[in-house]
Amino acid sequence: MPGGGARAAPLRFAIDCLAVIGAAVPIYLLIKQAITPDLESFAWPPFWLPHHLTASNLKSVFELAELRSALLLSVIVAVAAAAISTVLGTMLAYAMARRERLRQTGMAGVTIARLLPMIAVALPLTTVLIRAGLYDSPTGMGLALIHAALAIPTTALTTYGAFVAIPAEQEEAAWLDGASPLRVFLAIDVPQARMAIAASLVLSFILSWDEFGFALLIQVTNRTMPPLLYYYTVFGDVGPASALALVMLAPAVAVIIALRPMLKSGFIAAPRH
Amino acid sequence: MNTRRANLALWTFAVVPTLFVVLILFAPAVQGVVLSLRRGGPSIANYTAVLRDRFFWRAVEGNLIVPAGSLAVEFVIGLALALNLSGRRGRLAAVADIAAILPFAIPEIVLLTVARYIFMPRGYLNAALDAAGLGPLPWLVPGSPWSYFTVIVVDAWHVTPVVMLIILAGLQTIPPELYEAARLDGAGTIATFRYITLPMLAPAMLAALVLRGIDALRIFSTTLVLTGVEGVPVISTYAYHLWTDAQEPRVAMAASVILAVMIVVVALVGLIAMRRGALFALYE
Repeated sequence: MPGGGARAAPLRFAIDCLAVIGAAVPIYLLIKQAITPDLESFAWPPFWLPHHLTASNLKSVFELAELRSALLLSVIVAVAAAAISTVLGTMLAYAMARRERLRQTGMAGVTIARLLPMIAVALPLTTVLIRAGLYDSPTGMGLALIHAALAIPTTALTTYGAFVAIPAEQEEAAWLDGASPLRVFLAIDVPQARMAIAASLVLSFILSWDEFGFALLIQVTNRTMPPLLYYYTVFGDVGPASALALVMLAPAVAVIIALRPMLKSGFIAAPRH
Repeated sequence: MNTRRANLALWTFAVVPTLFVVLILFAPAVQGVVLSLRRGGPSIANYTAVLRDRFFWRAVEGNLIVPAGSLAVEFVIGLALALNLSGRRGRLAAVADIAAILPFAIPEIVLLTVARYIFMPRGYLNAALDAAGLGPLPWLVPGSPWSYFTVIVVDAWHVTPVVMLIILAGLQTIPPELYEAARLDGAGTIATFRYITLPMLAPAMLAALVLRGIDALRIFSTTLVLTGVEGVPVISTYAYHLWTDAQEPRVAMAASVILAVMIVVVALVGLIAMRRGALFALYE
């Protein structure tokens, strides 16, 4: 809303301050706790500034077997989930972009998929995964399949616009040369939509990287980072918990800031369960 | 052009991902409904067990209070942030812009971890209040009104940027000529907001309310991490507790089916309330 003039200036300043505090306070506290000994985090009154610096918390993320394997498992699960959901989401988006009926059905499906509460899926799914040998799997493949399914609405919506933008004449020329539908898709559409496909890859990676509920219920001993962070926080290891949180935070913030123009163009990322 | 071949290919492209989602998300949900209706043989005993449990009704209460409070906070602050950022240029605007989106970029579990350290009895907030002579407050004490307040604030903290982004997109669709006309007619800031901005934003706000309302009802992590299953009970953590600690899987499934039904009802009411297609307009 334009205008407001000089009278609006203090209000604008107050809202700016609120935004900066909301973003800076959690990140500052995490960094402070990650680089100082636990003694400073448990002090009363707590230290607002770091007094003694230590690298041991951050080192522990890469040295303690429990933390290192959670980091590795999170990466494996997120990479697998991103690959599967981007391939499937791209296929769905292409079909939606080329046929009006498929577009309507697809949009309805995407909306319905958002209605299911995590707990109503996770509890019975646990029983299925136990039978399939994918429950609490050391490679995290059960969780990766779930994350892939959760991310398909996001990857489809991210790439849909790119396929709509490709003119039909380009495909028709290839058709006349006798190319198969799959060949047309791979040779003509995918290269032109590559930026959107890359965006959907990183976005679905982060959705999996951040996901907590399913990970908590399914990776009960072979934990990914979110459930491990939960246990560290609840059982009071402030230093390692903060260091672990910092490692989780870095790629997530980088991706969202990089994709900010896309988020602001009216596209809203799917919910985080 | 071979249309039949193209049609077959496009349908395959649509069906394969759909089947994948149905198999992984919908089939288990349906199986959960079936399992919740059995105890020995077909039975509604799991549902009567849930409905007779006093703790379940406390969870229902929490599952209404927390989403309602959280939606109110995120819409008021989301609207303020969006109006503040809309149409602004310059370096300061870029900083405010990134800051406003950041809480959404922070992984939920990470933000909850920090929130625990901020709101715990000997945490940063109580230290600040103490230093200011206002004394400590029971931010996370189980069952206290303060614990509901804390859960609402922290939940809204994480998702307000989403509401802001939806409203910001809505603001971009308002034609500048309307503001120009209002200015020429001598309308002040408040009148312009009341008679132009707010009515023009209504469709975007309603769509955001339905989408966010559905998500808000699913609340799980915020209450689990901040207060545990008993502090501020909600239906998802109630079912989680029955599943893990009480070893009552069928009753847990019955409770989660009740939550799913609640969400579907809210979604249907929302869809009827808004013009058909307005929800999809958000995605395009």
